Amino acid sequence: MEQTTIVIEPLDKREETAPRQRKFRLRQLRAQGLFLLPALVIFTAFVVYPILASLYYSLTDWDGLAPDLHFVGLANFQQLVSDPTVLTDLKNTLVFAAGVMVLQNGIALLLAIILDGFLRRLAFLRVLFLIPAMLSALAIGYIWSYIYAPQFGFLNTFLSKIGLSAWQQDWLGNAHLVLFSLIFTNSWEFMGFGMVIFLAGLQAVPAELYEAANIDGTSGWQRFRYITFPLIAPAVTVNVVLTLIGSMKVFDLIFVMTNGGPGDASESLAIRLYKEAFTQNHFGYGTAVGIVMSVLILGLSMINLRFLRKREVEL
Amino acid sequence: MQTRLVLKKSAMPLNPGFLASRGLALLIVLFWSALVVIPLVVLLSVALKSPVEMLNNPLGWPAQFVWSNFADAWNNASLGQALFNSVLITGVTLLGLILFGAMAAYPLARFTGPWSQRVYIYFVAGLIVPIQLGLFPLYKEMHDLQLINTYQGVILLYIAVNLPFVIFLYTGFIKTVPRELEEAALLDGASPMQTFWLIVFPLLTPVTATVAITGALSTWNDFFIPLIFLQRDGMQTLPLAIFNFVGQYNNNWSLIFASVIISSLPLVVIFLVLQRYFIKGIAAGALRG
Repeated sequence: MEQTTIVIEPLDKREETAPRQRKFRLRQLRAQGLFLLPALVIFTAFVVYPILASLYYSLTDWDGLAPDLHFVGLANFQQLVSDPTVLTDLKNTLVFAAGVMVLQNGIALLLAIILDGFLRRLAFLRVLFLIPAMLSALAIGYIWSYIYAPQFGFLNTFLSKIGLSAWQQDWLGNAHLVLFSLIFTNSWEFMGFGMVIFLAGLQAVPAELYEAANIDGTSGWQRFRYITFPLIAPAVTVNVVLTLIGSMKVFDLIFVMTNGGPGDASESLAIRLYKEAFTQNHFGYGTAVGIVMSVLILGLSMINLRFLRKREVEL
Repeated sequence: MQTRLVLKKSAMPLNPGFLASRGLALLIVLFWSALVVIPLVVLLSVALKSPVEMLNNPLGWPAQFVWSNFADAWNNASLGQALFNSVLITGVTLLGLILFGAMAAYPLARFTGPWSQRVYIYFVAGLIVPIQLGLFPLYKEMHDLQLINTYQGVILLYIAVNLPFVIFLYTGFIKTVPRELEEAALLDGASPMQTFWLIVFPLLTPVTATVAITGALSTWNDFFIPLIFLQRDGMQTLPLAIFNFVGQYNNNWSLIFASVIISSLPLVVIFLVLQRYFIKGIAAGALRG
């Protein structure tokens, strides 16, 4: 008798715990829902729903005001393909993104390597180089608008004072120059971010590797090419993708400094989207521009990620 | 020992190529330092000049400091109200982000079934999609919900836009926190909410700092969302107040720069005080992303 109970006991317990466990699961599930609910509601309402809705609106002639809107199929996209200014916007956006990617990341990597080397103890330089990134793009836009101003601007006045009047330019008014002036300003602002990210990558490179390389009598370039650069690949990936996404979406800086001018020489897709919608009320068409821009950003970041991650894996 | 020392000496500092590369590096650092410092000095010096001195002495340091520029900018651009709005919006946004982001990340990190994996991807996909894509329906939605020109409207937007990154950071970090403590608490009869806030959340301080820093940077300096959703007087944040102010005082660079300094100072001062956490936070945020 006693023996059987001993055998049965664990079975008994298991039967008892099964419903309890289910109840516990249910409680857990309810708790999970409670944890997720606020974030899910806010994110769905203000990010996901508008994006899905915009896919629909891009097929209409919606002006944002009139209650009646007409389904126009792919007309917006057809108009877009044959719209020469959209092609200019696209070109400007790509040139800007490429310029920022090269200039900003190039300077950031160079300075990170130097500050990680024999200037390691001058930590205040990191702080100094990050200050521009703490200012708003608006503030930076105004500072550089003044520096670039053709007549009484700082740069031209400075050039004439040091006898280089011949170098004076209308930095933002010259259609051939304006994108480069903007690229430089954008890189000036965000270089510090890139540098800090590269520095974090550099600090993770084990010092023994350099010691070993020194014993082998390698040159500085060889050390960079075969040790540093491969090992900071994750930081390179992050910086390239971040600058790509950021500069493809560029709005504030251009809006403040040139508003796309002169003509449409510095008009980016984001500026165009804003103008279509809020000055012309072409919401449907503006949304089509937005979709093209997003597809471009998505596509380019995917290509970049795939390409750069592959390099990371190869190590 | 002796030979090794000699070898080292001749291999390192006496090598002229080595000296040249160090000199070049130093030059590059000096050059960029100047490029960073000069515009900031220009900003300050223009903000302190009188209109007359702006014409006579465009390059140099002001002979006389016109501090009243700051008072004029403060009053004419109603920066007091804008400062209040910016602090309120940034502050509540950060609270909401930390609260909702950490909470949502908890089940996503702890229950790794296919269901929670899908929810996680749903959120994180928001990292790549630019906000401009949904702009027009969003405008209509905000209008229909009467959220345009309201604090709560803009705060909800900022929370929504930043949530993917915040959830991404928290989920990654919670996975590295051992479960034993919370399991013990649950067995002791604590509710999941109590367990999370009393046991788990205090362990997340490093990510919370990163979230606060990246969130503050993107909210405080944002211009696009206020431009579209906060146009009414008295509701504007600092960047928008300055933008409208510049529209009125087109060429008065002294007042414009004074207002730029006032609006930038809070974040720059916080950055200078907490620089170590900022630098760590930016790197941690980016390299996890």
